[in-house]
Parts: sequence; structure tokens; C-alpha cells
Amino acid sequence: MTAIADLPPGLLMMIGALFLPLLARRMQAWTVLALSALSLALFILTPSGDHGNLTLFGAELHLVRIDSISRPFAIVFHLAAIISAIYALHVRDPRQHVAGALYAGAAIAAACAGDLLTLFVFWELTAISSVFLIWASDNERSYRAGMRYLIIQVTSGVLLLSGAIVQYVETGSLSFTSFVGADEGLTLAGKLILVAFGIKCAFPLLHNWLQDSYPKATVTGTVFLSAFTTKLAVYSLIRGFAGFEPLIWVGCAMTLFPIVFAVIENDLRRVLAYSLNNQLGFMVVGIGIGTELAINGTVAHAFCHIIYKSLLFMSMGAVLYRVGTIKATELGGLHKSMPWTTTFCLIGAGAISGFPLLSGFVSKSMIISAAAEQHMLGVWIVLLIASAGVMEHSGIKIPFFAFFAHDSGKRVQEAPRNMLVAMAMASAGCIILGTAYPLLYGLLPHTLDYHPYTTTHVVTQLQLLMFAGLAFVFLMKMGWYPAEQRATVLDTDWFYRIAIPRLVAKLRTGIVAADSAVRTAFISGLTDVLDYARAAFCETGLFGRTWSTNAMAFWASALLAASLVVYYL
Amino acid sequence: MNASGSTNNPSWFERPQNIRNMIIALVVSCAGLALADLFYTNPHPHFPIETTFAFQAWFGFVSFVVIVFLGRLLRLLVSRPEDYYESEEQDHDRDR
Repeated sequence: MTAIADLPPGLLMMIGALFLPLLARRMQAWTVLALSALSLALFILTPSGDHGNLTLFGAELHLVRIDSISRPFAIVFHLAAIISAIYALHVRDPRQHVAGALYAGAAIAAACAGDLLTLFVFWELTAISSVFLIWASDNERSYRAGMRYLIIQVTSGVLLLSGAIVQYVETGSLSFTSFVGADEGLTLAGKLILVAFGIKCAFPLLHNWLQDSYPKATVTGTVFLSAFTTKLAVYSLIRGFAGFEPLIWVGCAMTLFPIVFAVIENDLRRVLAYSLNNQLGFMVVGIGIGTELAINGTVAHAFCHIIYKSLLFMSMGAVLYRVGTIKATELGGLHKSMPWTTTFCLIGAGAISGFPLLSGFVSKSMIISAAAEQHMLGVWIVLLIASAGVMEHSGIKIPFFAFFAHDSGKRVQEAPRNMLVAMAMASAGCIILGTAYPLLYGLLPHTLDYHPYTTTHVVTQLQLLMFAGLAFVFLMKMGWYPAEQRATVLDTDWFYRIAIPRLVAKLRTGIVAADSAVRTAFISGLTDVLDYARAAFCETGLFGRTWSTNAMAFWASALLAASLVVYYL
Repeated sequence: MNASGSTNNPSWFERPQNIRNMIIALVVSCAGLALADLFYTNPHPHFPIETTFAFQAWFGFVSFVVIVFLGRLLRLLVSRPEDYYESEEQDHDRDR
């Protein structure tokens, strides 16, 4: 067992992924599933502690660190990989299977990395492998979005590596521990690494790669994408920046602004991407608070979130797969032809909104309670507003516009069986986590006595959600709810997709104009000189015409006199 | 539920009578939840506002409405035609 424990968890999936193209196409999907299941079994058998210790160029490396923080993340990553693999069983595209298995394996290995160098290697591997899930859509838009995604993700990795190098130079150690000093200040290494994590965690203003790329990935690819990258960043933030107070405000901003964007977004997978952003905000707030309850809440919320967010992306993926579009304006009335997908989507919507008996209820409330226990009234209010916002975009908008609303007249088949099985498993996960919550709480880093199902909590949460639902009905009846519109919603990607190219184009036009002006001036100057020379040397010109003998004799003696003067001076 | 029904065959969720009943059920349960506040006391209130009558109920309602109206304002600012990026990006390609 020790030899296996020394290898990064997920390595089996990564190595297996490389051999997938050798297999028959219909075997590839099943192999990914088998590899994920086997990897989970191996991981559960691996004891906690530091493994795979080695010294490389004088630096101590710990390839594997399994403790109470990395264990829940690695377990839920495995579960997500298994569910996503089942969801993708019908896919016959080797690229997606290789990318999916490699990506999941790398994320698991990264979550168990004990030092910054190992973390960097798997961090970059998640970026490079996942981009193929976007490119596999095989169109110009996804190619461009994938390129932008890759540039941003690799930048994050480069910052992480820079931070790791600075850390090594300053302290002589590469170990991945907290960067938050006693005085709450960050070293240069800490700052670099915080930005690296912040990009991957989609901090405000660094967030837009998420809404840009996830909706352009393939139907099955988005499910993989939604599970790993951002939650790996959450894990890393817990490890490195728990209790770093500015994160509370970063998290508050993250919970608030996406809900407003989600109201007007037409692409339902993009709505889910905004919703993902908003959910990450809850986790970042928890990391910033940093108390035992808050960290427990963050880990629990990440765990539940991976399951219900995959469920929601799976249900929207099934709609996209069958209908061919995911625009709210084109959908509606699908509950008639896709009843199972509708049911599963509603379970996911209930879980993310935090309805009692479903997973979001038992995890999100820990973060909100942690804010209340620290007497942070502002943060507590922001989180309540954000909870009402979740109800708006994921609880109501997603299921309502896809499956109910006005009938679009589209009649399609129910989702393929493997998709339904994957969605059923995720739905069961949401219900089990919400009801048998001690199972989840047992996995958390700190042992705490926390009971989610108190009368106060159940009643107040239901008040919030049901009155939010009532507000929806009220706005609909008054005709004040904004109708869905076909539109592109601008976000910060506008700056690098339009503003900067436009500026560069202007700059280029300016440089071209200046350049051509200089050239024209030079050429016209040269032409003038040539014209003059031509005039001077032609038959009638000063130098070209025939001179008289007298003039020549005069000039010859003048030259002779001049040379004599020069000689004697 | 009707798996292959035609458009003019409304499902259970589309019949006006059922929709009205669902809305009535929602209003009744909301009223019940608000009134439930009278029958228990919060053992560990952290903020005074928590203990006011049906705080999370009206707060949820108001937040939802405000969010939706903010969305409508935001739409005025950042909404562009559907092919906005495609046409713009092609323009830049032509520059090159």
C-alpha cells in the first residue's frame, strides 16, 4: 500500500487517459468510468499523512498530502468524475474522453499536492487538458473562447510558479502552508499566489473567463469543467489564505454582481456560469471569515456545490443535446417531453437554493451562521440577498424558462439513458447530503456541534425562499419581470475582446499613418535632389554644358593657386 | 404527463385552473410561514433585526424585486445584439 500511497491520487486516471486512444471507441467511455471508480477505491484505502517525500535540487517535495482538508475534496472530485463519466458514456469522441480523464485526475492530484511545485505541475495540467473540452465543440467561437481560456489559465499557473520561486528564495521551503502572517500581511510570494488562485477562483474582474468559456464547451465537457477548476481554487484558498479578511469583501462582491447579470442572460448555461460565480462567493466569504465553523461550511458547501451544479449543468446539457439550443427565448414547455430531466433539474434547483432536505440547506447555512456568529451584520445581509438571488436565477429562472413558461412547441425525446442515470445519481446525492448530513459533517476538517434543522433555521429559510417565489409570481402577474431577449450581455471580457483590439487597431492605424508620412517626406526630398542633379548635369546644366577654353584656363590656374596656398600654410 | 402530445394539448401544469391553484397554494403557504413566526422564539438571535416579525419573509420578497429591477437597469447598459462579438471580431480580422 505504501508504494501506491507515494504516487499522486488520480495518477491512475492520468496514465490511463493516455492509453485511451488505443481502445475501441465504444470502450473508451467505459474505461474512463472504470478508471475513476478504481481511483476512488484506491484513494479511500490510502491512509492520511504525507507521502511521496523526495528531494529535488535541494528542495523537499511532498507529492501527496492527505488530511482532513484534501480528503473531502479528493472524494468529491472522484464522485464528480464518476458522474461525469456516466453522463458522457454515449460520446464517441476520443479527445473528450482523454481530456476529461486527464483533467479530473490532475485536479485530484493537485488537491492532494503537499508542496507548491507539485501543485503548479497539476495546476497547469488541469488548464491544458480542460481546454480540449471547449475546443471539442469544433466551431470558431469555441476555438476563440478556448484560446482566451487557455491564456488566462496558464497566466494563473505562471503566477503560481513565480510565487513558489519567490517563496523558495525567501524561506528555502516549497511547502504549501498558510501565507497569512500573524499581522495579516502577505509576503510578495503570498500576493503572487493569491492572484494566481484568484484568477482560477474567478474573483470579481478576473471572473469572466468562466462565463465566456464554460457555455461554449461540449454538452458533456461543461459538466467536467463545472466540477474541478474553480473548486480546486477554493481548496487552495482554504489551505493558503484561511482567515485572510479582505477575502470576505471579495466574496461578498462575488455573491452579488452575478445575480444581476443572471437575470438578463438568455443562454441558460451562461446563467449557470454566473450562478457558479455567486456560489463561489459564499465559499470565499467562508474562507475570509476563517473560523472553524466557516471553514467547515466552505468545505461542505464546495462538496454539495459540485454535486448540484453538475446536476444543473447536466440537465441543461440534456436540453441542449436534444433541442439543439439552450437559449431561454427558444425553450419552454419541455416538461411534457422531458419529464425526468425536468424532475432532476428541479431537485438541483431546490438544492442550490437551499430548500430544507436538500444539500444546499445544510452547507450554505454554516457559512451564513459563521458570519452571524462573528457579528458581521453587513456580510450576513449580503449573504441573505445573495440567497434570494440564487432562488431567482437557479431556483426559478433555469427550470421555469427551460421546462415550463410558454410552450415553445418543441417536441423532443427524453435525454439518453446514461444521462438520466447520471442525473439520478446526482439528485440522489443532493437528497442524501441534505438528509443524512452527519455523513457529510463527518468528513469536514473540524469537529463541531452544528445542527442545521432547527425550527428557526427551517422557518426563516423557507420564508426567504417562498417569499422570493411569491415575488416572482407577483412580478410576472404585473408584467414587470423582464422578458427574455436574444442578446449578448457585455461583461469584463468586452475589454479584452473589443476595447483592447480596438485600441490596438487605432494605434496601428496611427503608426501606419506616421510611418507613411515619414516615407513620403523622405522620398519627395530624394526626388527633389535627383531633379536638381538631373537639371545640373544635363546638356544645358551648370556641370553638363561645354565650357569655353578661357573659363577652363582660369579655373585651372585658380585651382593651382589654391593648392599652392594650402601646401605652404 | 404527455410525452408526445401536440401543442394544443395542455399538460397539467398549463391548465389555467391548476396554475391558479398553485398560486393560491403558494400564497397560503407564505402566509402560514409568516404567521409561524408567532409560534416560536429564536433561541440564539445574533442581530436585533432577526427577531422582528417575519424578517426573512419581507426581506426575501424585497431583495428579489430589487434584483429583478436592477437587472432591467443593467440590460439598458450592457445588452447588445446577439452576434455582437462575432461581427466585431470579424471586423478586426479584416483590419489585419
